Amino acid sequence: MIGGSIWTRRALATVGVLGLVFLAVPILIVIPMSFSSAKALTFPPPSFSLRWYETFFGDPRWMDAMWISTLVALVSSVLALVLGSFAAYGLRRGSFAGRDWAEGNFMAPLIVPTIIVAIALYLGLARIGLLGSLVGLIVAHTLLSVPLVMMVMGVAIREFDPRIEQVAWSLGASWWYTVRKVMLPNLAPSVFAAWIFAFIGSFDEVIVTSFIAGKYDTVPKKMFNELILEVNPTITAVATLLIGLTVLALAAVTVILARAGKLKQTIV
Amino acid sequence: MRGQGFGFIAPLLVLMVLAFNLPILYMLGLAFWDKGRGFTLEHYEGLAEAPVYLRVLGNTMRIALIATIANVIIGYPLAHWMRGLQNRARLIAIALVVLPFWVSILVRTYAWIVVLGNGGLVNRALQWTGLTDAPVSFLYNELGVTIGMANVLLPFLVLPLFAAMIRIDDRLMQAAASLGAPPRTIFWKVYFPLTLPALAAGALLVFILCLGFYVTPAVLGGGRVPMISNLLDTLINQIPRWEQASAISTILLIVTLLIFAAYRRLDRKAGL
Repeated sequence: MIGGSIWTRRALATVGVLGLVFLAVPILIVIPMSFSSAKALTFPPPSFSLRWYETFFGDPRWMDAMWISTLVALVSSVLALVLGSFAAYGLRRGSFAGRDWAEGNFMAPLIVPTIIVAIALYLGLARIGLLGSLVGLIVAHTLLSVPLVMMVMGVAIREFDPRIEQVAWSLGASWWYTVRKVMLPNLAPSVFAAWIFAFIGSFDEVIVTSFIAGKYDTVPKKMFNELILEVNPTITAVATLLIGLTVLALAAVTVILARAGKLKQTIV
Repeated sequence: MRGQGFGFIAPLLVLMVLAFNLPILYMLGLAFWDKGRGFTLEHYEGLAEAPVYLRVLGNTMRIALIATIANVIIGYPLAHWMRGLQNRARLIAIALVVLPFWVSILVRTYAWIVVLGNGGLVNRALQWTGLTDAPVSFLYNELGVTIGMANVLLPFLVLPLFAAMIRIDDRLMQAAASLGAPPRTIFWKVYFPLTLPALAAGALLVFILCLGFYVTPAVLGGGRVPMISNLLDTLINQIPRWEQASAISTILLIVTLLIFAAYRRLDRKAGL
């Protein structure tokens, strides 16, 4: 560690802690607010109640949105996982012309501003008559999740010793058998992490969904629309549920990767 | 395996070309084509003539720049402080940075309405300490949008910067100290230059993300702080002017890709 006076170090610690507080404040405020009994957003809440959760779970429109979100997230994350993992394998192990270009193209949805993806998809889907369709929505979420899958699986496959596959082949195993019996069991923790990231990514997606989903409401889309209109405390309950989902998912990923000893390579 | 492995990427490639590349090409086409007349720059002339577009562009650049600077001012000391932490404390700090990174941007933006509102936490604290008599309006203006964006994007700067900082060998600083350099000199002459590529790369990344930001300006700006994304939303969803939206999107896309190319060069340097 760099030395410096005690005052320098204290000042640094203060700034660091304040930075962490700044990051955590939104999350730490929303959770208690969701258990408030008041109609106005006052902090701290006057008294405890579950009324906003009752409003949320009792509202068929929110429940429909929940169902659409889950369906789209499930289908698109599995599609992205399968297509993205195979592609990551091809990119890491194969050698063909245009490999760098293909990889850049698969990662592009992460770099191109989401608003541009939303507009391009809106125009394209309108052109072929799939605007406002579930198929269009699922395809859009799939391509947005692909980079997340590729990041996790790309690292995992690169770290996996190719000689292990070669041994399996030399012993007469088919390629498909090798993938199923050798690679998949070894890469399972990363596959799980990639799937979770893709699922969360889809479940939280709001921009593209708002543009192309038409009559379908997902949870974030409905939340966004209500936010623009008025301040409604039901949103605090929805927000808390989304935070809870993220925390659970990240905890699951952390535990599974830590058990496999792969935590560090995936996060940093 | 020379020439092999293409079969693995083929299914994804088909999906990406059909659902990603073609729509973007179609958008570029709309920006430069006119029915019956072929190639045209007319949609861009329209942009240059309307002052509202230039104002929104200037607005976006200014807010993006301020949010990026705020990110650097908060993020650099934070990452540097995290580098010096011991095991458990460091893990907790990393968790506190990673968690917000994954929590929905919508949720984090929404929370600022509660924190910054007229009856919100910050205003109550300000009034209680007697710093102000009337509530300060943070929401539905540039200040609120900037605070929200800086908050949402901070992990994008801190995580790669921290990763670069922990790769720096402590012995470099010890060597400088053993040769008699005072701490200030060690920091500015040894440590800081080594972190500079990662800092610059992180700042560029944050700036790119700011340029295309949609949710935070829409929610915390309440329609009063128009940025490029919100203008695009209006041109698509409210007054349908698809050609104009395509033209603006094309400019934003090109600017983003240029900055991203610079980012890649710096990022590679930071990784060495």
